[in-house]
Amino acid sequence: MSKRRIPLTALKNGERATVVSISGGGCGRGQGKWGFEKRLMDMGLTPGTEVTVVKSAPFHGPIEILVRGSRLALGRGVAERILVEVEE
Amino acid sequence: MTAEKRLRIALAGNANVGKSVIFNYLTGLHQHIGNWPGKTVEKAEGTLHFKGYTIDIIDLPGIYSLSTYSIEEQISRKYIAVEKPDVVINVVDASILERNLYFTLQLMELGAPLVLALNQVDIARRKGIEIDVEKLEKLLGIPVVPTVAIKGLGIFKLLERAVEVAEKRETSRIVMKFGKEVEDKITELIKMLEGNHYWYPPRYVAIKLLEGDKEIEKEVEQLNPKVVAAARKLSKEIEEIHGHSCSTVITAERYEIAGRIAREVQKIVSPIKPRFEERLHNLTTHKIAGYIIMAFSLLAIFYSVFTIGGYISDFLNELFYTIEPIFYNLIGGGSVGELVWSIMEGIIAGITIALPYIAPFYIILYFLEDSGYLSRIAFLMDNIMHKMGLHGKAFIPLILGYGCNVPACLGCRIMETERERVLAVFVTTLVPCAARTVIILGLVGKYLGIEYALLLYIFDLTIIFILGRVAFKVLPGEPTALIMEMHDYKWPHLKTVLKQTWFRLLEFIKIAFPLIILGSFTIKLIEVFGLLEPVSLALSPITVTWLGLPAITGITLIFGVLRKELTLIMLATLLGTTNFAEVPGFGPIQMVVFTIVTMFYIPCISTIAALIKEVGWKKALLITIFEVIFAITIGGIAYRILTFK
Repeated sequence: MSKRRIPLTALKNGERATVVSISGGGCGRGQGKWGFEKRLMDMGLTPGTEVTVVKSAPFHGPIEILVRGSRLALGRGVAERILVEVEE
Repeated sequence: MTAEKRLRIALAGNANVGKSVIFNYLTGLHQHIGNWPGKTVEKAEGTLHFKGYTIDIIDLPGIYSLSTYSIEEQISRKYIAVEKPDVVINVVDASILERNLYFTLQLMELGAPLVLALNQVDIARRKGIEIDVEKLEKLLGIPVVPTVAIKGLGIFKLLERAVEVAEKRETSRIVMKFGKEVEDKITELIKMLEGNHYWYPPRYVAIKLLEGDKEIEKEVEQLNPKVVAAARKLSKEIEEIHGHSCSTVITAERYEIAGRIAREVQKIVSPIKPRFEERLHNLTTHKIAGYIIMAFSLLAIFYSVFTIGGYISDFLNELFYTIEPIFYNLIGGGSVGELVWSIMEGIIAGITIALPYIAPFYIILYFLEDSGYLSRIAFLMDNIMHKMGLHGKAFIPLILGYGCNVPACLGCRIMETERERVLAVFVTTLVPCAARTVIILGLVGKYLGIEYALLLYIFDLTIIFILGRVAFKVLPGEPTALIMEMHDYKWPHLKTVLKQTWFRLLEFIKIAFPLIILGSFTIKLIEVFGLLEPVSLALSPITVTWLGLPAITGITLIFGVLRKELTLIMLATLLGTTNFAEVPGFGPIQMVVFTIVTMFYIPCISTIAALIKEVGWKKALLITIFEVIFAITIGGIAYRILTFK
């Protein structure tokens, strides 16, 4: 069983994966590391958590995921920084 | 103080768990909505009498964590730790127990006397989730009361238990333990913290230091800088062991505890019926159907707000102006009579212009928010709004701004951070409202042709887009990306929605009416003392020299501050004709320049009041000044470009 590490945005609709890490970093639209990383964690996206991608909004919009029994909408920029692991 | 027995209860919990419904049940009409001192975060307080106690209830903002991510979180944490309410009622959504317990655990870390309101047990049951209440009580060490707030079920018992806990200020004896490595570090830090007094309990301070919480670090630094350094070292050690930042490790472990408790008390049975909410969600977020439904909903909202509002407004207007002659008979004419009437006129303007639109809009906005549809619209629109530097949720106020900027600005309250609220409010005040549309159509549309009016509209939208982007870049603070929960659709609690509307209306009246009255009084004063000519003369460097307009327009622009459509009415009165094409020196170019200036210069006085309510005095003033200067600048540039041959 091999494992593949990809950004959350690379998952297809309906696919499930496990969160590995959130790459913070100062670059990008000023999203300071502490703020959005902590926020994602607080919303339950901690390493080891299982997430399911439901769909994404048109025009390259946010993606909808299921995590810990609730439904979250994540901006694409944020979702790209979430590294997940999928089993093949 | 008398021998009166007083208790303070705080309501805390995630957003959309039914907190405000419980608050409204408990306080009824004895509530007050204002802002937290020095902040623009809403503060809802109320009182009730129960078992000989006078109980003050405070509804804390809906949040997911007690870090310092947002002002709301800071306020809640400070309130619980420093003001020490006698008991905190933690309202949780039984159908998403794990996420909600994550917050409960943090309240326990804060050492607050707690009661858990296990709300929406009916929804949980329909989702197929049964919760063992006794077991949950045992695991958490605090009373747990199942409730169905929208039906009022369990509220009495909840209050009883809360009072019991408050009387003894009883906190849970259970300490939620993290993994061994983290616990060791916490113990070490607690030892180092001994001897100093902090607002927060030592264990909490230790945990937050390890998490790298900036505010706690600052507080500890003043008393004991060594501890902060030590904590940083310890959290580095954890980072090395786990390969994740210490804050990540602690958050993950806290979620693990929450998850374990949730799994232990939950029994998953099969859902009672196929979930309608689920299908509604899929439909309203669908890539085609979602937008169609949204367009229809917005049309319906727009139509209902402005037809209902217009109807009430007209009705009130007529009513008030039938009073006018009666009034003059009583007071007598002359300057005094006119001045007194101007105060009346201010009140009438407030009642007839703003309120009829604000009330239905508030009701609809709360309905959208509480039902969950607002978050779906944000989901669909986020990307487009993002291009303007706005959050998807800002779409609703922005659209409503086309009708009237006042409710639209007030609606920006739904934005999650102060920065976003300021941005949304700023952009909203630039949206051409109905009154400005009247000017665009009544002047440019009528005398130059509808295509020119449309062109101006497009020009306005372009400017909004550009200014939005500029403000987005210039404004300090971090832009927040979309991280939003889309909770299940539910039917909003009508009484709560109505009460929320009512108390926010009162709050608005308190801010807006003095301003409106003062404004109309001042302008009347200028008129009564025959200062209209001198004022327009004083303004002529701007109006005549820079903008190329007739001097008389200076006065009309001042009157426009009261209500924008007045500029056109005033212009007609002062020029002595409604056929503007006949007026010498007021040709097509002047009409366009005049319209451009009216489009952008300060929103009317009611909008300024709404700005003050949502972003505070200073920012409201800044936005106002900016827009006046901007309007004059761009008007002058337009004049020069149009006359350039």
